[in-house]
Amino acid sequence: MTQELRAALAAVQKPGRYTGGEPGCVYKDKDKVDLRFAFCFPDTYEVGMSFLGMKILYEILNAREDIWCERAFMPWVDMKEEMEKRGIPLYALESKDELRAFDMVGFTLQYELSYTNILAMLDLAHIPFYAAERGEDMPIIVAGGPCVCNGEPLADFFDLMMLGEGEVQLPAVCDTVIQGRKEGLSKQEILRRCAQIEGVYIPSLYDVSYLPDGRIQSVQSRDGAPAVVTKAIIRDMNTQPLPTHFVVPMIGAVHDRAQIEVLRGCVRGCRFCQAGFLYRPMRERNADMLSEAGRQLCENTGYDEISLTSLSTSDHSQLETLLDDMLTWTPEEHVSMSLPSLRIDNFSQSLVEKTTRVRKSGLTFAPEAGTQRLRDVINKNVTWDEIERTCTLAFNAGYTSVKLYFMMGLPTETMEDIEGIAETAQRVVDLYYKNPNKPKGKGVSVSISVACFVPKPHTPFQFVPQDTMESLHEKQQHLLRSVKSRKISVSYHDKRISFLEAVFAKGDRRLAPALCEAYRRGCFFDGWDEHFHFDTWMEVFRDLGIDPAFYANRTIGEDEITPWEHLDYGVTKDYLIREYHKAQQAKTTQPCNRACAGCGANHLLGGPCFDYR
Amino acid sequence: MITVRARFSKTGEASYISLLDLQRVFQRALKRSGIPVWYTQGFNPHIYMTFSAPLPLGQESVAECVDFKTEDENYDWTAAAQQLSECLPKGIDVLRIEPVRTDSSAIALARYEITYEPDWAQRAARAYSTFAAASSASVEKKGKRTVKTIDLKQYTDVESARETADGFILSVFLPAGGELTINPALLTDYLKGLADLEGAVPRILRTALYTKNKEVFV
Ligand code: SF4
Repeated sequence: MTQELRAALAAVQKPGRYTGGEPGCVYKDKDKVDLRFAFCFPDTYEVGMSFLGMKILYEILNAREDIWCERAFMPWVDMKEEMEKRGIPLYALESKDELRAFDMVGFTLQYELSYTNILAMLDLAHIPFYAAERGEDMPIIVAGGPCVCNGEPLADFFDLMMLGEGEVQLPAVCDTVIQGRKEGLSKQEILRRCAQIEGVYIPSLYDVSYLPDGRIQSVQSRDGAPAVVTKAIIRDMNTQPLPTHFVVPMIGAVHDRAQIEVLRGCVRGCRFCQAGFLYRPMRERNADMLSEAGRQLCENTGYDEISLTSLSTSDHSQLETLLDDMLTWTPEEHVSMSLPSLRIDNFSQSLVEKTTRVRKSGLTFAPEAGTQRLRDVINKNVTWDEIERTCTLAFNAGYTSVKLYFMMGLPTETMEDIEGIAETAQRVVDLYYKNPNKPKGKGVSVSISVACFVPKPHTPFQFVPQDTMESLHEKQQHLLRSVKSRKISVSYHDKRISFLEAVFAKGDRRLAPALCEAYRRGCFFDGWDEHFHFDTWMEVFRDLGIDPAFYANRTIGEDEITPWEHLDYGVTKDYLIREYHKAQQAKTTQPCNRACAGCGANHLLGGPCFDYR
Repeated sequence: MITVRARFSKTGEASYISLLDLQRVFQRALKRSGIPVWYTQGFNPHIYMTFSAPLPLGQESVAECVDFKTEDENYDWTAAAQQLSECLPKGIDVLRIEPVRTDSSAIALARYEITYEPDWAQRAARAYSTFAAASSASVEKKGKRTVKTIDLKQYTDVESARETADGFILSVFLPAGGELTINPALLTDYLKGLADLEGAVPRILRTALYTKNKEVFV
């Protein structure tokens, strides 16, 4: 570590965020590798180190002798300032070499409001924002992650984007870069070759033209790039080993525990949920493979807590077997298990017992909407009976706090649905006090957390406008008035943050200058309340002549060409439209494991998704 | 059951691990190492351990120690040191593990090497000679609740001060342990004011801990 770096570290909070050296982190001789990859997470170390995707790719890339993958995170405000003051360029934690020294710099796009952090990181690394301004001496800047499904607002900044799952795709891109360098190809020539890899999107090879009213006229590919890019997918999850060596953070990460990914995708088809559509079809891993990987991971990391992660863990067809397998080794190894995202409708008695054999924390449910009608609209297949049954089980088992997640601003929503949120919480409170087996002498606490609905690309609700901020404000007030019990607490998200999220989620390439300008005027860490400067954003839009409502609050026609029209996640547009229509009639769709609704994603597998018998 | 003591170094990156985090790091490393450590009983079993005279953030050391319990009195502790090192982060190396003979309350003194890089060496030497020549050097020592003014000169026992190719190196003994601890940063902060050392970031390395009668503790 240089004297400058030590001086900076002496001046900041939590210097451990910036040092690397954690158990499990990989060091290599940089002269003995063919490709150096900097994996960048555009948020804090604590957030990034919780992210499973980084752990998966870190292990896969570093398993190769010819590649060294290192990590970089967005420095917190104090460190950013120190680095700027002392002229320390953004470096990767392992080697402490600046990002410019790398062959490839890869960002993961997890959240629209971290886009300005990407610019901040490039800026700190002294790398020009626009791909067109970067010469041959600059690293190839790439992106992956869910927001790549409409990365158009960032299209001008990235050389290459990767749609879908990176386990096989990213090494293929690295190989093409290594090979291209050996042959002395130019960056453009290398990128053109990469365009042939599954799921690879080279934004500069696509020309977008616009209609006078601002909508998109056409998107044209050139130089042999595919007209439509289809995401990469692991067809059989059992062929893809789980990571068994995590870098174990020393300052607590948000999720500081072992994680095993039990399945990918989700069978549910909630119409608001982008992840549910991006990761189709749902694919599971076998119970024995999971249990064994979990055991190895705990052995290698020393973690004493393991979580079974996925979008919907309790939909795993062998869940009980898996829990039984894991219970054969977790107690003696002093490891406790946690199951996030438990679903109400299959939270069985024995499941309650198995999880209560480990730590007892609060119970969380996500009904998402306050009335059955609206739950049918969004296809959240949860009924009051199920909530009642599960809460009763849980109260019997000694739970005393329940957290309920809802959304506001959903399509077709009325004030009656808002009142339904308060009623649902009230009925949970009543249920507790009516239960003869409730824990003695303890009260119940029910907290309602309400997010603002953000319509997202590649979902049936991509067509709908976001509720205006005025309307959301009214609904929030109405909810507060509707809550009568002191046992119920209400919290909700900042609607202005959700508005900006909607703008960038459905945005197009014309938003790039706004990102640059907002960053220049001091916007970064937008997702952090205390650093969110809404007024600055509005000024930027006004000064650049951009109407943010055009992106957030406008109905998109079913025949309109969306900015993400050429990015294919396996689900057909026809299907999205069908689901959109069903939503308007409050008609539900069955989960994939019960009946196929014909979304088209089975083509990615080359056969049916499930074996229906 | 016996208590054993692991002596370890904490340098470079590892010098930024706080005591709280260090506890978790050792908890996990001991678990991974397979060394037969004793766990507390109960719902949430954990390894019982104590660190002696922990360092302030950013200071380095080759003389740290942690005590933990084991029921296996005949374990091969030489091998254990190696096993444990492999599970610890960069910058922490276990130098040896052995059964505890002296209680950590016996710690009274620490030896430090304070190094100013070559570009600061001259100024540091100047500051030091001013300090050496002065009759007293009062500084404010912040406790948990109180601020006391103390005379640094009274507590600083200088072993050597020399200019080398690596820079200006000051070797000193300062009180450490339960009764009184003088943070070497008090000394470097004081020197800062004597010869315009504002931008300097001296490396502070603890090389040993001693008992009252100057017997080596670790
Ligand atoms: S093809 Fe059918 S089963 Fe497969 S993901 Fe689509 S709707 Fe579900």
